[in-house]
Amino acid sequence: MFQRTQNINLSPIKTMELLASKISDVVSLAQGIPSFDTPSIIKRAAIKALNRGVVAKYSLTYGLSELRETIEQKLAEDNMFYDFEKEIIVVAGSIDGITAALIAIIEQNKDEIIIFSPDYTSYAETIKVSGGKPVYVNLSEQNNWQIDFDELSAKISPRTAAIMFSNPNNPTGTIFSKDNLLRLAEIAASNNAFIISDEVYKDFVYSDTDYPKPNEPIGKALFSLAEISELRKRVIRIFSLSKAYAMAGWRIGFLHSDEENIQEILKTHDSLVTCAPVISQHAALAALDFAGKEIDMFRYEFQRRRGLTCKYLNELSDFFSYHKPIGSYFIFPRVLKYPQTKVDAKKYKNYLTPEQMESPSWQFALDLLYQARVAVVPGLAFGPAGENHIRLSFGRNKKDIDKAMGRIRKFLTSNF
Amino acid sequence: MAFLLKNFLQSILKILAKTYLWRRKPLVIVVAGTANRHWLKENILSGFNKKKLLCRVSQKNFNAEIGLPLSILGIFPDENQRGKINRWFFALKKGLKIAFKKNVGEKEVLVLEMAIDKPDDMEYLLSIARPDIAVFSAITMIYPENFDNLDEIAMEYRKLIAALPKNGLALLNADDRRIIGLGQYTGAKVITYGVENQNADYFAQDIQKITTGQQFKIQTPEMTGKNIEIKRFGKHHIYAELVKEVILNKIINDQIPITIQ
Repeated sequence: MFQRTQNINLSPIKTMELLASKISDVVSLAQGIPSFDTPSIIKRAAIKALNRGVVAKYSLTYGLSELRETIEQKLAEDNMFYDFEKEIIVVAGSIDGITAALIAIIEQNKDEIIIFSPDYTSYAETIKVSGGKPVYVNLSEQNNWQIDFDELSAKISPRTAAIMFSNPNNPTGTIFSKDNLLRLAEIAASNNAFIISDEVYKDFVYSDTDYPKPNEPIGKALFSLAEISELRKRVIRIFSLSKAYAMAGWRIGFLHSDEENIQEILKTHDSLVTCAPVISQHAALAALDFAGKEIDMFRYEFQRRRGLTCKYLNELSDFFSYHKPIGSYFIFPRVLKYPQTKVDAKKYKNYLTPEQMESPSWQFALDLLYQARVAVVPGLAFGPAGENHIRLSFGRNKKDIDKAMGRIRKFLTSNF
Repeated sequence: MAFLLKNFLQSILKILAKTYLWRRKPLVIVVAGTANRHWLKENILSGFNKKKLLCRVSQKNFNAEIGLPLSILGIFPDENQRGKINRWFFALKKGLKIAFKKNVGEKEVLVLEMAIDKPDDMEYLLSIARPDIAVFSAITMIYPENFDNLDEIAMEYRKLIAALPKNGLALLNADDRRIIGLGQYTGAKVITYGVENQNADYFAQDIQKITTGQQFKIQTPEMTGKNIEIKRFGKHHIYAELVKEVILNKIINDQIPITIQ
């Protein structure tokens, strides 16, 4: 029974949230959702669509035609040219898109998917669900979490179906340079592997300053391999509206690639969800058309919160070292010292795997949860190179960040 | 209350837009159809820009009873401005200034959309602005909820094409049978474009998808086999390119139907 699911684990982020939900007054910097509500202009569009009676039926599996037209226009603004009729699929959040793409490309003798460590925690499980094998390639912490090309070249093989990564990276906030991405594309091409580029944080790329002034232009454009027309057949790009438009619960995003790939991915997307939720598609249309200013506001706020979180971490430099993130809303500090007082991880064996119970980063996350009442994500959740780190989200509001970091400071300073 | 306010706003905007059109007498191009309006507008704009002619294109979704007059006046109220009343007060104040501006400036080309959500919408929109040129893309099942079928949508477009002046111009997608059927309801000159119907006046053939986009040849009454390469994918971009070609050849070079300088 359950043979397929035996080796699949619940996302560690969800495990932490589950454990945190049983304790009162926990401040969570664990979940990767923004503190903002969906902008009202988007909600109004959804209500309008609901009242017009246009959300009860399925849309085309590709998604609403007018939404895909808008997506094509938005992509063109970012120098990516895709045909809305044949090369764009609206998906139910990025995980639907990733799963649909993986199922389509994984084959019996080409079943390995290279993912970076650290990178998004759900990739490995999604690969397993799709019938593939995750192969980790560690990012180089010394080199600001950039790609270790020696390790990549060593791990890639004819069995590699794809290299999949988030850019900006979740959890490190790193951005891969254009040169590095082009080098990666060359390596993928020489092994006939796809590239799955998950760019859900592409709107949150920051300037150097910690506390930008209102209306100060801070956003930076992110280079995507999907801009290179020669790579259209190799690159599958995923975008979700969850983060950029504070629409995580709406489950809406899109993917695009060359027509040849999309025809196949469409079949798996159809089998998985038939179509993305239609009410969310109408909301997404309004988001892409009208919510540009909200993204600017979010980016401005996140940049200030990044500054705030870094300030706290600088004060705790005996305990943490970190690379300042350029994108996303995560920071991934290395834990330099572990506290003396520890909770017994074995008490939570119903929730944790044996590997997690032995992991220092899990131990530290449990210590913070049960002793400081702060939920964070243990670094091991992001693959082997994530060990001895924790992920902190500065997507939460200032009050939560102040409270959480204050508690962490108090806990650490009183336990050494 | 909200209904009354909307009606009031709608009436004032209509008056201001009509005043603007009466004083400035721009060349009005209306892009209609249920798909591909954005790229058609972009290509029309690019055609006029190529010849350094003043051209203004409506923003997306500013195409119905409130949006159309705003597009004519070139006002795009900030949805993020606090308070609906504030927002509209500033929009009306700005509209008043634009409509009655002393210096009417040089002749401009206005590229507008007219959106129809339900039967009879078109009549109201035509009471605001009359087109000199109408470009029709396609009729697809995008806004089905208030129409029984696609023929009903075509009936609305019939009103638009019938509103063209005798010296006006209709650009019809020859690949869409409902669009091509509209030709009989106008006294204006009709030019057709297409990629499937070989009888189209502007016909794209030998279409090839290449790594960087698409290549094709344009066959027109004036020339044969003009090679075009675009950095865009999808048939809809070929339609847009054909329309641009008509704009360059017929409207700008031949000055049909209306002198624009």
